[in-house]
Amino acid sequence: MAYSEKVLDHYENPRNVGSFDKNDPQVATGMVGAPACGDVMKLQLKIDEEGIIEDAKFKTYGCGSAIASSSLVTEWVKGKSIDEAAEIKNTAIAEELALPPVKIHCSILAEDAIKAAIEDYRTKHQD
Amino acid sequence: MNYFELFGLEAKFSIDLAELSATFQALQKTVHPDRFAHSSSQEQLLAVQKSAEINDAYQTLKQPISRGEYLLTLRGTELPSEQQSFQDVSFLMEQMELREMLADIEHASDVDAAIFSAQETLDIQSQNIWQKTQQLLDKNNEQDNIAASELLRKLKFYHKLQIELERIEDALFDD
Repeated sequence: MAYSEKVLDHYENPRNVGSFDKNDPQVATGMVGAPACGDVMKLQLKIDEEGIIEDAKFKTYGCGSAIASSSLVTEWVKGKSIDEAAEIKNTAIAEELALPPVKIHCSILAEDAIKAAIEDYRTKHQD
Repeated sequence: MNYFELFGLEAKFSIDLAELSATFQALQKTVHPDRFAHSSSQEQLLAVQKSAEINDAYQTLKQPISRGEYLLTLRGTELPSEQQSFQDVSFLMEQMELREMLADIEHASDVDAAIFSAQETLDIQSQNIWQKTQQLLDKNNEQDNIAASELLRKLKFYHKLQIELERIEDALFDD
């Protein structure tokens, strides 16, 4: 199956690959996996006192579409508030990357990774 | 007729794979196109359909993950949707580490030893989960069936790791 140009671009030049210290109180970590294809995705957000995402990093083991979806998401979330980031929908990711129907689950995984990271942040900052 | 019945097997997880394979060969012979060379086109079509069904059944029962899932479906356990993402954080952290272990193999000073040790790690961990899965499937009650379906989801990640390890091995020794 042919990947779209945008998928190839993110796959060949992934943005923001790496990790932050997960114990840093500013850092929120979202871990998600897709049993159907065995993909594992880690998305980390660095969030300032005002709740603005100042930086993001990802590490994904999976197909090109999963890597591209998480790479794109790290670009999109930067500068957004956590509430705005929570609004990012998998359909927007799939549309931007022109993902074929069989790869929609990769965009769902990326959306779930954002949600899981925000959930982690809220758990860390309950008080 | 379900797949187990088609193969004359009791619907349980532990099956004799040699027997499965022998039954498969025997069943396929009964619907072989040569036997229907002089039959009506309708009979030929039915034989082709039956052959496809026998094939599907064999593929499903041969692989332990699909056999387990099929067994659970027969028992009425709803399997988690394939689209639903998996969020067991500690399990996924371990998966991430195992992926890193595989990615490091090509940089190892002793590649053979690294592959051997990676295979051993995957075997020990997946066999541990398989053992639990089998026990749960043998108990066959609602709660244990649900727990077994969760473990089968985990085993899919190990299946993927195994494929990845084999791919790395092929790539390293191909050239």
